[in-house]
Amino acid sequence: MTDTLAHDEILDTSGLLCPLPVYQAGQVLNRLTNGQVLRLVTSDRGSLQDIPALARQRGDELLAAEDQGTTQLFWIRKGS
Amino acid sequence: MRVSFFREQTVTTVFESTTLKTDPLVRRFDDVRQLLPDADQPTPIVRLGRTAGARALYLKLEWLNPFGSIKDRAAAYMLSELLPEIAGRRLVEASSGNTALALAALAGLEGIPVTVTIPEGAPIEKRVLLRMLGAEVLETPDDLCPVDLPGDGAIALARAIARSRGGEDYVWTDQYSNSANVSAHYETTGPEIWRQTQGQVRTFVAGFGTCGTITGVGRFLKEQDPSIRIVAVEPNAGHRLPGLKSFAEASEPEILDRTVIDQVVRIDDETAYAKTLDLFRQEGLMVGPSTGAIVAGALALDDPALTVAISPDSGFKYASFFSQYLDQHPQRKDDQ
Repeated sequence: MTDTLAHDEILDTSGLLCPLPVYQAGQVLNRLTNGQVLRLVTSDRGSLQDIPALARQRGDELLAAEDQGTTQLFWIRKGS
Repeated sequence: MRVSFFREQTVTTVFESTTLKTDPLVRRFDDVRQLLPDADQPTPIVRLGRTAGARALYLKLEWLNPFGSIKDRAAAYMLSELLPEIAGRRLVEASSGNTALALAALAGLEGIPVTVTIPEGAPIEKRVLLRMLGAEVLETPDDLCPVDLPGDGAIALARAIARSRGGEDYVWTDQYSNSANVSAHYETTGPEIWRQTQGQVRTFVAGFGTCGTITGVGRFLKEQDPSIRIVAVEPNAGHRLPGLKSFAEASEPEILDRTVIDQVVRIDDETAYAKTLDLFRQEGLMVGPSTGAIVAGALALDDPALTVAISPDSGFKYASFFSQYLDQHPQRKDDQ
């Protein structure tokens, strides 16, 4: 279902270890305008804790998260 | 090897037939790396006659290293060891600035690209200098990895960069765990101090940071005379003293050997910044704020014995910090 969520930018951090996905996602979100959505792909299971924490800390909205085993998907809407 | 490895590098130029030979006695060199220090070519020690009164307190001026700080020593040692395995990869290092500056300069001479993860709170002067040296600079929040490495976001990021994608793209110098950081001080800084004081040094004072200096010098001096007192200066949590570490908020480096340390003195930012200005105004020594902390720590000992304290770098890279400090302390703007 989440595959149908609209997004404005994709960041694929497959192969990168935490906290690199957090760092790179933060950089991309800084660039987006309020309300735009980032689709983030990770392969480090630490992201399941780190990315929701990042969204909370920044005041962004985690629209959805999906754990596919070797891959994790996140949709984050940049907050105001 | 190591420092001498770089000093022995020969430079071939089209003008070689007319070039003067390197001669350290008249301070003539063919390559900036030949300026790296050792017991025959030490950084100076200067007595603090005005701030320390009758006490024999000497400051070792590490900003006179070729790339501007004590980190030149560790960077040279680490890089010379890693050169054979770099082979087309990038270097990555977490640094509050000084190690990165030395690494970027030295690696640049070898054509090796450098990525630096630097705490967001590092002064702008260091970030600009790194970019001038061609380094990729990733400014990193300290709380980037709160569970794994609290307070050490830059280290966590450098480690992740080095290990991601099979670790094939980067070589991590890892100054916090690299024994070459200790060796640099055991083989150069320690012997320099021993020779410069004619073996009379009784107390040595340095800051907690990567802990290469305190461990390497401490180990060397204890081997010469176990009664020499080794004192570490530690800032408070939340400090603004780049290069120093508070272990109330940061992890202790693997290379720290607490068995060589006799005493830890804690110094707050206010004391450190005030002492830095004292050194500028009373001694004519334009040192950085970590030097202020270390000198304040040395003076807190009230020790009449011959003491050597480390001045890790100069104040030039902290002008933006001191601009704020002077604005916040108007009574110190022109109090001399």
